[in-house]
Amino acid sequence: MTTAPTTAPVAVAPGGADEAPRGRSVPWAYILLTAGLVLMIGPFLWMVLGSVKPAADFLRNPPTFLPSAATTDNYGRLFDQLDFPKFFFNSSVIALAVTVGTLVFCPMLGYALAKLHWHGKGVIMGLVLATLMVPAGITLIPNFILMSNLGLVNTYPGLILPFLAGPFGVFLMRQFMLGVPDELLEAARMDGANEFKVFWSVVMPIATPVLATLAILTFLGNWNSFLYPLVMAQEPAMYTLPVALATFATGQYQADHGMLMAGSVMLVVPVLIVFVLFQRWITEGIATTGLKG
Amino acid sequence: MSLRTSPRAPDRAPRGRLRPLMVTLACVALLAGACGTNSGGGAAASGSTGPASQAPAISPAASLAGTLTVWAMGNEGVQLKTLAAGFMKANPGVTVNVTPVDWGQAVAKLQTAIAGNQTPDVSQMGTDMMGQFAATGALDPVPANFEPGAFFQGAWNTNVINGTVYGVPWYVETRLLYYRTDIAEKAGITAPPATWEELTAMAKAMQSKGGADWGISLGTKNWQEYLPFLWSAGGDVMDASGAFQLNSPQAVEALTYYQSFFNDKLSPASVPEGFDITPAFVAGTHPMFFSGPWHLGLIAKAGGAAIEGKWAIAPMPKKVTGTSFVGGSNVVVYKNSKNKDAAWAFVQYLSDPATQIAWYGDVTDLPAVQAAWSDPALTSDPNVAMFGAQLKDTKAQPAMATWSELATSLNSTLEKLTTAGMSPQDAANEMQSEAQKIGTGS
Amino acid sequence: MTVPALAQREVQGAAASAASPGSGWRWRDDLIGWAFAAPFVILFLLFLAFPIAASFALSFTSFGLRDLQNPVGATFVGIDNYVTLFSDPKFFTSLFNTVYFVVLGVPLTLVFGLLIANALNRGITRFKTAYRVGYYIPVITSIVAIAVVWRFLLNPDVGLINMALSSLGIKGPAWLADPALAMPSIIAMAVWRNLGFAMIVFLAGLQAIPAVLYEAASIDGAGRWEAFRSVTLPMLRPTILFMTVITTIGYLQLFEEPFVMTGGGPLDKTLSVTMYMYQQGFTFFHQGYASAVAYVLFVIVAIVAFLQFKFLRSDV
Repeated sequence: MTTAPTTAPVAVAPGGADEAPRGRSVPWAYILLTAGLVLMIGPFLWMVLGSVKPAADFLRNPPTFLPSAATTDNYGRLFDQLDFPKFFFNSSVIALAVTVGTLVFCPMLGYALAKLHWHGKGVIMGLVLATLMVPAGITLIPNFILMSNLGLVNTYPGLILPFLAGPFGVFLMRQFMLGVPDELLEAARMDGANEFKVFWSVVMPIATPVLATLAILTFLGNWNSFLYPLVMAQEPAMYTLPVALATFATGQYQADHGMLMAGSVMLVVPVLIVFVLFQRWITEGIATTGLKG
Repeated sequence: MSLRTSPRAPDRAPRGRLRPLMVTLACVALLAGACGTNSGGGAAASGSTGPASQAPAISPAASLAGTLTVWAMGNEGVQLKTLAAGFMKANPGVTVNVTPVDWGQAVAKLQTAIAGNQTPDVSQMGTDMMGQFAATGALDPVPANFEPGAFFQGAWNTNVINGTVYGVPWYVETRLLYYRTDIAEKAGITAPPATWEELTAMAKAMQSKGGADWGISLGTKNWQEYLPFLWSAGGDVMDASGAFQLNSPQAVEALTYYQSFFNDKLSPASVPEGFDITPAFVAGTHPMFFSGPWHLGLIAKAGGAAIEGKWAIAPMPKKVTGTSFVGGSNVVVYKNSKNKDAAWAFVQYLSDPATQIAWYGDVTDLPAVQAAWSDPALTSDPNVAMFGAQLKDTKAQPAMATWSELATSLNSTLEKLTTAGMSPQDAANEMQSEAQKIGTGS
Repeated sequence: MTVPALAQREVQGAAASAASPGSGWRWRDDLIGWAFAAPFVILFLLFLAFPIAASFALSFTSFGLRDLQNPVGATFVGIDNYVTLFSDPKFFTSLFNTVYFVVLGVPLTLVFGLLIANALNRGITRFKTAYRVGYYIPVITSIVAIAVVWRFLLNPDVGLINMALSSLGIKGPAWLADPALAMPSIIAMAVWRNLGFAMIVFLAGLQAIPAVLYEAASIDGAGRWEAFRSVTLPMLRPTILFMTVITTIGYLQLFEEPFVMTGGGPLDKTLSVTMYMYQQGFTFFHQGYASAVAYVLFVIVAIVAFLQFKFLRSDV
């Protein structure tokens, strides 16, 4: 959804361009921004340092900022005592499957809504848009009941299927498709391409940047997703990383700071890698769509 | 300690948490493995007076066959395979598959299994979970082969819901006072406190003269620590007719006494998240607390040689009675089991005194069968024997379907009493009205 | 843009296009259209549209654990759940806490987001990308991980914050265990986590403001603050409205932070509406009652979003 629709259409400067000088710089702005940045990054630094602190450091009073010695014990416990590789695998499978599904289903409907004429289009459009801002909690209980009757609680399909129906992706794709020139499609149809071929060979390639944004937002959203997997993954074998971390942090391991920090690192680092690699797609995608995905 | 191998959180977590489906996590993780692992029942607590009904006895089958799926929690889940091997040896036709279940997940996993009609044949069940699961209608009533008198009465009663017996006690635990003898001596006290007054005096002396930061460490919101004081004052959760009496004069007296430790700053009202009593006890900052038998091992492990000979345990101090809380686990058979004869035979095997003694040797779970307590394995350790003695005077929470809800509510009121200065009378009234609102679910 | 307005416009647009003269190929168009729509629409109806309707129906039943195997057999109780809810002090406690969180959290998040965005846009010329990425990192990381890390930061004995305070000679409080400080601590964390999102959206809005407006303001002798008031704020008005609504809707659904950091305590001071729903629905399995809680929250979200559009848009 556009952020400033009525009076100020948002045109984002391309990522590379914002390094270009633009007006004067103000010293206090650097000071403010740097101080703020320290506050932003500080907790992450604290997390990483905590994850390599030996157990004794957590009993020291007063505590120290730096570890007395670096250790991998905390990570060792994650892997020895808990099935962390399994949680990592579950999170990856679910986030990837939802992303792939979203990249297929959302553009299809987006295309149908933007470029095809069919009965029921208006109704579908209205329905999908109307659910855009429904709180997630509303669907939680009925979905749990539905899934338990389908025998899908504690299964991958139970954790994947509901997220393939994200209205945001449809909205984003439709907005993009509206901007695709009809002439382009007509030309392909003239050449004898059927509608599916037009979609697949003409539209999808042009949509790559939007698809990239959608893919990243979908992946991140599902990697971090918590409430739904908390309910739907009842067995440790099906836990995702956030569910595992929250369960251990509020349960037996609440005092094991070192291990919890190591678990947090495991949860955060893959996201940081994705973000740093693709940050342009993300920040621009969010600026243009105004949604976190 | 691994999540999958132990039901007992070493720390006595101070806060109730709301991890739901999974739940009673509030109990499990928090209350020292409490809910899941503990609870027990007192005849008076359950309020039932008439004889409880059991299903007709099952005649010993000539030969049992088939497969049994057994779910067991925490450490029991890991160790049960050894015991099951003995059963399979005696019954070569039966294969027992043990599935370990994490305590934190136990309630949720059983609920999901019942909802999906995929229950095991047999499972372990925390004594405080009984009411809730009996109400689902998924449990098979216990046949008459099991003799109630063989078990500790408090433990047996946790299985009796609305007059029907749904499970058999497996192991028990109860709570005693742990205290630092060296700090007590420094404070001029040589004998453990026998009465409420002595407990208060001891806490004061340990703090003022013994050099400890606090006199005692009581839970700020832990119904399992409050109920023994309620019983000790001569009160109870329900009267004989099954009506709640949480605002009786005895309850107000117990709440007043409980609150006095916080008012006098003898027990910390603010407990940081993740607080672990074991190192604090070893360090001597918190020289007294109430807990179950698992702390015997935890203290020895955490303190090593340095703590040896510097601590002891004592029975519940008395007012009217010295009744403590009994918890532990029962074993239940599910109605959907396709092999009930073998399932009940397995339960019978688990409650055999010899098996119970062997089980104590394997995992140090205290036997629920009274006959097992005459074995030297249990009588030789004075600390264990003291738990055995306390078990004769114990009660549990009433076995009712809505217990987990009432427990959450009691914890919430206790928190107001201990940390926010709610008056004991108001707290008692709130407990009573909440209990009446929640009801027993029957 | 308002979602309702947008939807309305789109529906009108679609109606208009449907009314356009069709050809003999109409049935084929329908077939193709539905073929493209079907995969998503089936999933959408099954896992989103149907549950939303079902949730409403559930809120009029006493649905519990024993109904799970036979959902249609649940007992209809009329408006009992809603009657109970409106006399349930714990629900009002959770509602109060949630409103407290929103009323403090939303303005703080927006003010800090705008401050940073403005500094980035007009105050500096170098390292813009680095700052932007730095401020955005908390937004994309898991709330659970962040809550776990912050709980550790705020730990009274071994946390970084009290460590810093004690080096200044101040004995820090038990942040999350103190009834008066627990919710403010959670608000601080939420502002910290979400200001990067506000920053990115505001930055996009700021960059769309034509430079000539600032030039004109400076010719008129306006300083930076004057320019901010007379140019930036009015031009940014739609973006601010949008961010207010989006952030409010998000914050009304507060869940993970108190779930991980405080469990709703101390003394229920951080119990949010969504946590209460989760507790009722999945701890006690009162799923009918929990559905009523969810629906009341839904209605509150809808009303608040509507009012914000109505009033924030018209004034000034």
